[in-house]
Amino acid sequence: MTRIEANNPAVEFHDLTVSYEKKPVLWNIDMTLPKGALIGIIGPNGAGKSTLIKAAMGLLPLGSGYVRIFDKSLNDVRNRVSYVPQRESVDWDFPTSVFDVVLMGRYGKLGLFKRPRKADIEIAHDCLKKVGMQAFENRQISQLSGGQQQRVFLARALAQEADIYFMDEPFAGVDAATETAILAVLRELTEEGKTVIVVHHDLQSAAEFFDWIVLLNMRLIASGPISEVFNHKLLQDTYGGKLTVLAEVSELVRKRQIPNREKY
Amino acid sequence: MDLETFKTFFSFSDPNIISVVIGAVLLTSSSAVVGIFTFLKKKALVGDAVAHAVLPGICLAFILSGNKNPVILLIGAFITGWLSLISLDYITSKSKLKEDTAIALVLSVFFGVGILLLTYIQHSGNAAQTGLDSFLFGKAAALVGRDLWIFSGVSVTLLLTVSFFFKELKLIAFDSAFATSVGLPVRAIDQLLTTLTVLAVVTGIQAVGVVLMAAILITPAAAARFWTHSVFKMTIIAAIMGAFSGLTGAYVSFIAPAMPTGPWIVMVISAIALFSFFFAPKRGVVSRYLQQRQLQQSIMDENLLKELFHIGEVDHQPFKARSLKAILEERYFPKNVLLQSLKRLKTEGYLTHKNGSWAFTKVGHKKGKRMVKLHRLWELYLSEYLKIAPDHVHEDAETIEHVITPEIEARLEQMLSFPQEDPHQSSIPY
Repeated sequence: MTRIEANNPAVEFHDLTVSYEKKPVLWNIDMTLPKGALIGIIGPNGAGKSTLIKAAMGLLPLGSGYVRIFDKSLNDVRNRVSYVPQRESVDWDFPTSVFDVVLMGRYGKLGLFKRPRKADIEIAHDCLKKVGMQAFENRQISQLSGGQQQRVFLARALAQEADIYFMDEPFAGVDAATETAILAVLRELTEEGKTVIVVHHDLQSAAEFFDWIVLLNMRLIASGPISEVFNHKLLQDTYGGKLTVLAEVSELVRKRQIPNREKY
Repeated sequence: MDLETFKTFFSFSDPNIISVVIGAVLLTSSSAVVGIFTFLKKKALVGDAVAHAVLPGICLAFILSGNKNPVILLIGAFITGWLSLISLDYITSKSKLKEDTAIALVLSVFFGVGILLLTYIQHSGNAAQTGLDSFLFGKAAALVGRDLWIFSGVSVTLLLTVSFFFKELKLIAFDSAFATSVGLPVRAIDQLLTTLTVLAVVTGIQAVGVVLMAAILITPAAAARFWTHSVFKMTIIAAIMGAFSGLTGAYVSFIAPAMPTGPWIVMVISAIALFSFFFAPKRGVVSRYLQQRQLQQSIMDENLLKELFHIGEVDHQPFKARSLKAILEERYFPKNVLLQSLKRLKTEGYLTHKNGSWAFTKVGHKKGKRMVKLHRLWELYLSEYLKIAPDHVHEDAETIEHVITPEIEARLEQMLSFPQEDPHQSSIPY
């Protein structure tokens, strides 16, 4: 394992273990990620990439360990955090418009019962413009292409005006033009000092996109600046060597329903 | 059902009639509004299970209290309604049974116990029990006096709660992971929605009855979905549809007091849903069929123009009139389809007709030429860029030529740098 600690960490994962329906999918993740970087989480299918950011967002119960963002617990920094779920996780036939979805990015700041104010509406307009979707404002979301859906999700995240962004596969199934547009927006964010953490599946583009890479396959293989960790040996460790023992043990734990940490 | 009774009812001069109407309309419309979110969260069957599960609660409350005080019956209904949901959750999370199986189990067990208790009560000889069975199929006419106030009160509370939490309910129904990530109390609001659903069922049964309650919860939402793409408008439309069916129920209860109102309300709301299913613009079946037919026709017309252009290409007389026989020799079309298409193209100004022969107008010739060009450009694109064998590209191009937009056409021309010939050495016309 090659683990380089960040000088100025935005996120810290400490001995994080996560199970999915009783099956452990992430084992003892320990790392820090730097502020203001564009960070890619890379690994094969089933490596636990999405699980890692879901766990960071408090969407999954943790088996052990903790995640701290800006050295605070998630609940204390919610307003500075934005999460972009996988595009397929929602029903795009839901009866709503593009603009409405982007406006949802403001709900966290608004709080319960409050209606969006003029300022919120203006922010939503601006964010749609940033992703080049202003012409689609009143479009039904069911009429969007995959790339357009992804841009709408990105606009919603921008509307949150966060300091750190967790994105689950924002480049999956998008056209080349959308890919360029999304990348430009992410770069702009990091130039403003914001931290962007992206789950990514394509090795080819990973080398061009990111400043910092996390290699993951059920456990941490490497975390560090791209120049240090994006090498043949570590990629081989991530993709090549079949983790037969770890996978088998996971399966046994699931079958026998063993709790992740012992009680006594 | 004579005109006189109709007039008496809809003049609303009898205070009794007014109270029944207000009650029925409030109950059905508030159920419809709550049902919107049950529907959007794809929990329609859960609503059905809850509806059936309130029956044992009502019966138990009656047995324990010995009277029909609606507040006590409501509390009983509420408890078993919630209990059914807890059992559902427990079964799905602790066993390997899927949700549909769990729903079927919970629904039948709770309803079975309810019927058992109801039968017991009916044979117990308690004089107060008469009318309890109206909870099975509903009796809007019973909505008078104290009952009316209590049931309406609950309905108004439901409507107000939904409007307070509208923004949150919508977000959670669309994307609950995101809602959690921005710090909304998703679990609490989910439980609130469940409580609202149970309450809607509990109050709605007075008008509709437990057996058919799910219809008034879900059908308005399903029907309203056909008419709009906005959750807010959908809610308004569903409320109006629900209210209308409630009004009908009240009317039926008025003219035929012995008749249960639930089935009537369900008939009306189902008729509305069926009408929406067939005739709603854009999403309705008829409208979709018409769109499809129009598409088929325009494909046929484009093919015909293309074939006429081909004929002219061979004898270098593009504007010469062609007989039906000449067209059919170029490509087979069923005769009636061909004639209809020719007539359409004539009315649209693409062809002229004289003595049984058909000739291009200028515009028609231009359009035919464009179709041939698109066909050949696509064939060339397939063989050059996708390396598909020339003898396999024709069939693809037959379909794709109809969908290429002028923008894609321009890009193809650029990419292939205005080629002269397609893969079969036919020249590409510009």
